[in-house]
Amino acid sequence: MEPALQPNLWVICAAYNEATAIGRVVTELVRAGYRVIVVDDGSGDGTRDVAAAAGAHVVAHPINLGQGAALQTGIDYALSQGADVLVTFDADGQHRVSDIPRLAGALRRERADFALGSRFLGESSNLPRLRRWLLRAATVFTRLTTGLRLTDSHNGLRAFTRKGAAAIRLRQNRMAHASEILVEIAQSGLRYVEVPVTIEYTAYSLAKGQRIGDSVTILLDLFAQELYR
Amino acid sequence: MIAQIFFSLLLCSVFLYAWIEYRRSPVVAVLSSIVALAGLYFVWVPSHTTRLAEFVGIGRGVDLILYTWVGISLLVILNLHLKLRTQLEMITVLARTIALANPIAAPAGLGHPLAARISNSSDVSASRRQARNEARAGGPGRRTRRRGDPSA
Repeated sequence: MEPALQPNLWVICAAYNEATAIGRVVTELVRAGYRVIVVDDGSGDGTRDVAAAAGAHVVAHPINLGQGAALQTGIDYALSQGADVLVTFDADGQHRVSDIPRLAGALRRERADFALGSRFLGESSNLPRLRRWLLRAATVFTRLTTGLRLTDSHNGLRAFTRKGAAAIRLRQNRMAHASEILVEIAQSGLRYVEVPVTIEYTAYSLAKGQRIGDSVTILLDLFAQELYR
Repeated sequence: MIAQIFFSLLLCSVFLYAWIEYRRSPVVAVLSSIVALAGLYFVWVPSHTTRLAEFVGIGRGVDLILYTWVGISLLVILNLHLKLRTQLEMITVLARTIALANPIAAPAGLGHPLAARISNSSDVSASRRQARNEARAGGPGRRTRRRGDPSA
């Protein structure tokens, strides 16, 4: 496997009750030469111990706040450690470590500040049809609300330069953060690029992932934020 | 007359509430003010209320006032919800500060089973400030879009 392209690339994993999966994910990332920060979002199953034992840096929220809050904490930590490139990576094992060099490489080649993974440019195995339609609808929604012309608006595999990460400030604690990141990218005016990545859906990741009904919650969260700035 | 005065006082208190809340949430404040003003008007000119109620198909003016009051209540509930969000944001900042003050760092030999707790954490906010300054110094970039990655 290709070693880390960047001298100071940090991989951020937000984890909530992921003790069964986080060890393997961190081990793979560490073996590939990446620095890993796991943000334990108030887990009660020993996620933080498993992650630390596997070689990750760990910061732990005292209470469960949500994936958006955990990612922002991870970004803050990585920036404080002098990270040059930051990658967000799901803790449930559905992302491939081999996609990280692609994202980091795209940042460098395109002189972009954001590299966004796209499962629709790449591959996605076992993606349920209903979820595929919902993701397509989210892409249209993103295009209408932000102007970003993306093929996959809710992909957790992304890379930021230090400059890009500093331009993002997530206030949506829960799942609406994925849309909020795109709004912040659009408002920053910084360059972005889409990169094909592979998502491997498993029974575990599907069980841990979002439900169809969560899309309504996301819309309500985004609407509430518009009312209250 | 007693009922008119009573409802007028209530609606005035809603108007006052909206004025106080304006800085925090302008949209809710403006909507509350509009509804309160409409309510005041209908309380004091009930004939217009009945006429308007008939026009919109409600039937009785008193029902229209009731609906107006329900509308105000919903807006107040919305504002309470938004206030809770603000409190959650403050809790998030607090939890994040606690988390970042007590990181567990991977030892120099990555993958070592024993992690070491860092006693002196880095100044995260200073780091973020520095990163933002660097970003500003770089100036705004150009937005671009690229489908695919030739290296892939």
